[in-house]
Amino acid sequence: MQLIDLKAILQHTVSSAYGDLVTRPTGKAVRDGIEAALDDLDTEPVTVIDFSTVRLLDYSCADEIVGKLLLEQGGARVFLLQGVTASHCEAIEPVLRRHKLAAIARDREGRVRMLGAVPEDARKALSALTDRVQPGSPADNDALVLPEGTAKELLQLLRFSGPRDPDPADRHSAGAAE
Amino acid sequence: MTRVVNVPSHFDARSFEQFAKACGDMTDDRLLFDAHATQWASPFGLVGLLAAGQWAAEHGPERPLLTVPGDRDVAHYWGRAGFFAHAADWYELHGKVPRVTPATSSDVLLAITPVRGTDDVHGVVESVQERSAAILSGELGLEATATMGFAMALSEACQNIVEHAGTSGWVAVQAYHWRRRLGRRVVVIAVADAGIGFRRSLEATQASRFGDRWSDATALEAALFQGASRFRDPGRGQGLGGIARYLNRWSGKLAVRSGAARISIVPSWDDDQPLTEGLTPFPGSQVLMIVPAQEAQ
Repeated sequence: MQLIDLKAILQHTVSSAYGDLVTRPTGKAVRDGIEAALDDLDTEPVTVIDFSTVRLLDYSCADEIVGKLLLEQGGARVFLLQGVTASHCEAIEPVLRRHKLAAIARDREGRVRMLGAVPEDARKALSALTDRVQPGSPADNDALVLPEGTAKELLQLLRFSGPRDPDPADRHSAGAAE
Repeated sequence: MTRVVNVPSHFDARSFEQFAKACGDMTDDRLLFDAHATQWASPFGLVGLLAAGQWAAEHGPERPLLTVPGDRDVAHYWGRAGFFAHAADWYELHGKVPRVTPATSSDVLLAITPVRGTDDVHGVVESVQERSAAILSGELGLEATATMGFAMALSEACQNIVEHAGTSGWVAVQAYHWRRRLGRRVVVIAVADAGIGFRRSLEATQASRFGDRWSDATALEAALFQGASRFRDPGRGQGLGGIARYLNRWSGKLAVRSGAARISIVPSWDDDQPLTEGLTPFPGSQVLMIVPAQEAQ
């Protein structure tokens, strides 16, 4: 798994004086930096984009870094957004929706959420599934009862958001059985 | 010939139309902006006055004149807000300019700051975050996450100048107690430029969609509600919508004036019009954002 520290990329590619991911040119420079890093380690199956050290992300930067990166590389690589805050999600969410993209993000408390163009019940089902692995979290069984089409859509999204399953049909049946 | 433009005695977003009318066509005569009797000016008034000065200096026959407010306290406030430091670039100043440094009082979160490029946007965001956090969460009662949204809104508003105005502009951020109008504290962001405005910026990509209806008003509507941009890149045009969402969430106000139109997201505490057309044309774009203290639940 390859970890991309966004603040390190920002300071390496733009300026060590900057601490925030704002403005479109900054976002583009950071995306170029990410792509250069991906070229160096192109055998890694999963790339984690780490927001843990990022304070502020605006819409323009979110579009350049997340939107365009997923548009250009999302078909060939698996990305996970890590260390996101609520305000990062506010910037990323509309960007993904606008591009009709979805992404899986893990916040700083370890909670996993789905961002972007995802049906609401699929979003809730993922939250219910991931909450089950959090000790002490109440299980929301109702959220796991999905129409077949939605379940398929969610599984398809998950299949493209994590390491490839050798037999997607098995995963489908396991997830949809709830 | 010199024509006098009276600066309103109470110069803010409400009296801005009176000012724009007085400015009229700023290309024919040399202008004397008379602020001698001005008693108060909001950040919106001050950045608007700078935009007028720039336009008149660049398009008029001679550099315009500006009389400094006669009231010592008013002039000192303008100085602390950073006005004179930038006004000297565009105006021939008359009257006693106070020797004060632009400052960092608790209410001036960001003195008037020029926005010319990406570096300025980074600087603005950097300097305003820590100071605004204390006021937004401490005094206005917003959640801690609202501070980040505030900085995002500020960043996007400044980037509109860099990306679309075709010239530089200014931004100022200040906190007030609006006793009479609202009875609450507010934080105000004012952004202004004397650039090409929304209609010209969007014309190449949007005008054909609107045909005869294309105007300053339809350009503002397209930008605010449809995420229209002069770039064909589908990821563009999200900034203004993001600002509107942020202000909606915190019962704030957004008003954008460009050319002869003004569009507003009007909260329940305000009586502004959502869309006003047929105003006196004024160069560039002027953006006002107001975040009020949250009402106790």
